[in-house]
Amino acid sequence: MSGQIGFYFDASLCIGCKTCSVACKDKNSQPAGVNIRKIYEYGGGTWVEKDGYLMPSEVRTHFVSASCMHCEKPACVGVCPVSAITKRKSDGAVIIDRNKCIGCRSCEEACPYKAPSFDKSKDKMYKCDFCADLLAKGKNPVCVDACLQRCLKAGDMDELRKKYGAADALEPIPQTDTKPSVVFNKPDNFTKSSKAPGRIRNKTEI
Amino acid sequence: MAEEKIFGFEGKEPTVSRRGFVKWSSILGGTLAISGNVEGFVKSEATAAQKKAGEWIPASCWPDCGSKGFNKVYVEDGVIIRSGTDDTVPDNPDNPQLRSCPKGRANRQRILGPDRLKYPMKRKNWAPGGGKKDLRGRDEWERISWNEALDILASETKRIVKAYGNTAIYQPTTSGGMPYTEMARTLNLYGGYVSDWGSNSSGSWHFTGPVIGMPRGRDGTGEDMNDFMDLRKSDLVVLWGFNPAWSRMGMAMYELSQIKKAGAKFVTVDPLFNPTAAAMGVTSENWYPCRPATDHALVLGLMHTLLVEDDPKKNPLIRWDYLNKYTVGFDAEHMPENADKKENLKDYLLGTYDKTPKNAQWAGAICSIPPEKIKSLAREIAKTKNVALLMSPAPSRVNNADNWPQAIMTLAMMTGHIGTPGNVFGSDAGHGWLVQGRALLNGGTYIGWARNFPEFEPIPNPTAHTRVNCNELWNTIITKKYTASDGTKKDINLQMLYFARTGRMNQNPGAVKAIQAVRSVEFVVSQDSYFTTNCKFADLVLPITTQWERPGDVAPGYRGQILYTSQVLQPLFEAKDDVYVARELGARLGLDPERIQPYSKTQEVFNMVAASKIWDADANEYKHLVTITEDDIKKRGVKGAPQKGVLPIAEFQKKGIYHSDRKPDDKNRHIVLEDFINDPVKNKLDTPSGKLEIHCQKLADRVNSIGFSKIKPIPTYITPVEGYEDTFKDWNKKIKGDFPLQLLNFHPPRQAHTMFYNTPWLRESFDHLAMLNPLDAKTYGISEGDTLLVSSRHGRMLRNVTLTETIRPGVLAMGHGNWLDWDDELKLDKGGCVNILCGGIATGQGHQGWGSCNVKVEKWTGAPLPSDRTKPLSVVKLANVKGEGK
Repeated sequence: MSGQIGFYFDASLCIGCKTCSVACKDKNSQPAGVNIRKIYEYGGGTWVEKDGYLMPSEVRTHFVSASCMHCEKPACVGVCPVSAITKRKSDGAVIIDRNKCIGCRSCEEACPYKAPSFDKSKDKMYKCDFCADLLAKGKNPVCVDACLQRCLKAGDMDELRKKYGAADALEPIPQTDTKPSVVFNKPDNFTKSSKAPGRIRNKTEI
Repeated sequence: MAEEKIFGFEGKEPTVSRRGFVKWSSILGGTLAISGNVEGFVKSEATAAQKKAGEWIPASCWPDCGSKGFNKVYVEDGVIIRSGTDDTVPDNPDNPQLRSCPKGRANRQRILGPDRLKYPMKRKNWAPGGGKKDLRGRDEWERISWNEALDILASETKRIVKAYGNTAIYQPTTSGGMPYTEMARTLNLYGGYVSDWGSNSSGSWHFTGPVIGMPRGRDGTGEDMNDFMDLRKSDLVVLWGFNPAWSRMGMAMYELSQIKKAGAKFVTVDPLFNPTAAAMGVTSENWYPCRPATDHALVLGLMHTLLVEDDPKKNPLIRWDYLNKYTVGFDAEHMPENADKKENLKDYLLGTYDKTPKNAQWAGAICSIPPEKIKSLAREIAKTKNVALLMSPAPSRVNNADNWPQAIMTLAMMTGHIGTPGNVFGSDAGHGWLVQGRALLNGGTYIGWARNFPEFEPIPNPTAHTRVNCNELWNTIITKKYTASDGTKKDINLQMLYFARTGRMNQNPGAVKAIQAVRSVEFVVSQDSYFTTNCKFADLVLPITTQWERPGDVAPGYRGQILYTSQVLQPLFEAKDDVYVARELGARLGLDPERIQPYSKTQEVFNMVAASKIWDADANEYKHLVTITEDDIKKRGVKGAPQKGVLPIAEFQKKGIYHSDRKPDDKNRHIVLEDFINDPVKNKLDTPSGKLEIHCQKLADRVNSIGFSKIKPIPTYITPVEGYEDTFKDWNKKIKGDFPLQLLNFHPPRQAHTMFYNTPWLRESFDHLAMLNPLDAKTYGISEGDTLLVSSRHGRMLRNVTLTETIRPGVLAMGHGNWLDWDDELKLDKGGCVNILCGGIATGQGHQGWGSCNVKVEKWTGAPLPSDRTKPLSVVKLANVKGEGK
């Protein structure tokens, strides 16, 4: 037991249904526009003509569901001018105290994952708190038990890494030095291609 | 938790109070001006259950989609705090929890949205007979009382029936997912109404499937599928126009993942490299990007390849034993009696008489897949031991696709992939949800038909013989001519349109004509919970409750779940149940309301629960699901008899869901046509030959008698109206015509048809953009995010575009269900309603052919279209109410 909780996400099964994200909005009664669990669609590919037929080459797409990574070295904690963000000792979850938050958005700026999500109507920052109330009852965060494909899991990072490996970045989620508490499994048809580089496909939905 | 409660969709206040009013105004926010209408909307109380602190209430999710998740809401002090889903059983692949899809999770936002219809309304410029009819869809609205609304409804019904007869009233057959239209009972008692015929969802499977010998499946649609556990024995899965990640989500998708985990290889035949294919590990090498409406040509190319490459000794590809024993019509030696021996499929494939071999080159020229790829797919299907070819009805929702199910059945029999474990070819994504076989739990239905009540008096429609084809509907209203289902052309004068919770104006092909038709008749009424397209174009609008405001419902899940949901809210504002409208209209027409609905909704729900059954495989019979005691009956204030089942009714109500217990290789296996394959003599099919009919005279006679278009008894390729070929001015010289692209019209993940369009959480999650391949974008000078003007032979619309390699070149993909937003000045739609583009074209058996539609795109030079996420919800401004008028 590392004492650090985190997420495992399996991109080889995710269908991008966004149930995790909508369940999160519902659980936290967020207004539209606040999105603390974001789903990225990432892919690429090209079409090649041969003998008069256009055919796909390396066309691929995958989804990544990502919220706050509850980093071991969170970039957000130090930049908060009012010390509203703390790393919880008991389980390593990164928590924001909205009574202290002044809505300056420094944490969002500093976060390499742009995980915090700003609620303009309240002038406050929102982020994943690992569903603290459910966690206290020994339950999973709502996103995990909502997942239709059972490809999102939560648990102690040592155990997740033992079971699923150590990959903590997956396009478009960048490799960082904040030690994120997450393990990714890559999609089956993952291709790193110079001919047909990938890109985020659903920018207007994030 | 205090902070979380501040925002949102709290639900109905527990008491009629000033506080209640204030809270509602804050919920509905700045989008509504409601001062002066206090007594009008603070009308209801929370149910007794809600007054208790902290309780989960099983809540209905009734829209007509395939996700079928179980939903519940957590209510504290009369306020809905959040939504939840199934946690009543441990989650495992054989008995998975029935988890909500995103739509179910967002349902509370929709149900408590600011765009709920609050009061009965009439169009400002309406007068008996219609008034200024051309203002329909753009008039102002006035609030009226229920009494005035019902009086108008009754007097117009009487006037129109007196003047033109009952066949002047049209009401669609189906209605938006909720319990069936009680209005039909009232209208039937009053002498009847005109409805429609033709298949919309199941395409040509609905009629062709059973006629050629394919089983009807659990839902009677002509589509059947093996039980989900059997499919794990498949070695190869062909996803053919099959994308449950969008169209179904839920268990169908999860079970596909189990097939993948069991080691099957997946390939896909689809114009779109969709999320299902991506998650099942399909690569570009295994993606066959067939053009829309050309599937039939591809299948013929596969068959021809097998025929010419097959060598029973050296290279056995064809199961001649299957063809000879179980089918008629494949070759001249196995023809049905009295059939022309020359009219066999083998000679058609080889081109013996028409001199056109349907070889891979021929097929490739139509479906745009290289001949070598067609050949390799044919070999792979034939040489793999267990193959499941899973498709949606989409390839059959194509003009002239009457023989499509026959073509797929023939390929299955040529390769022997039917009737044995791990083998099945067929359409099911639509209606059996990959989980076919006898219902293990039976009761209600997902649309709430009360079929389990023998005491419920059937009231047949006296004018049932007068039905218009769904494709011809709008044209029929305009031209006053229709084609009966026996093919005869007749006169008709439709003057009253009764829309009871229906999306028909939005969802029937030919929406431009719909506007013209609806503006031409004398009276249009629409009852719904939201200001839908059908309400917008009506004269009279009646606000209707949602299922959350009714005394519950019973509905099946997939094969092995049944759901019992309860009332969550008191009716919002002045919304009433459809039964109220049906009874009140009936009373005003001089009918007996007791015949229309003989018992209360509470009694109806009790009846449905009491009638629910569980399948006992050992005893080979259905048994009562719930135990009911005298005390239960007394407490509920209903009529009924005690019975013994497997769980107490109170426990079922509290949990809201009951699961069957499945084990691999239990007695509930289901393999399509297994009995027939095991013993074709003892288990003859219901066809003239008793076999699967590759040559089916009955099919040809029936379709040809209607007269929309002609087919042969064998599955020949018929160039579909508005298929790929029609994108050319000159097919032989390959000169493109005015509408050079094909439209792929799909079920988007955001919506269940028109339902959930008005849900902000879903709008921001799924932007619902048109999809175009970058190669086409280059041709037409289009960039990412541009607003497109999309035109067809039938109408024009605006939509923003995203460029993606996942859609094949030559195809514009767009989801359906967005609500029409017609601009009368520009004569185009700004809402994204795809039926503006699709024409109401009746072919063959009169099914709807959304898969065949030609379009062109150009960059829109006017103001860019805002994203759906910033588009305001349709909140009605009332012209005669202070604070709500303009």
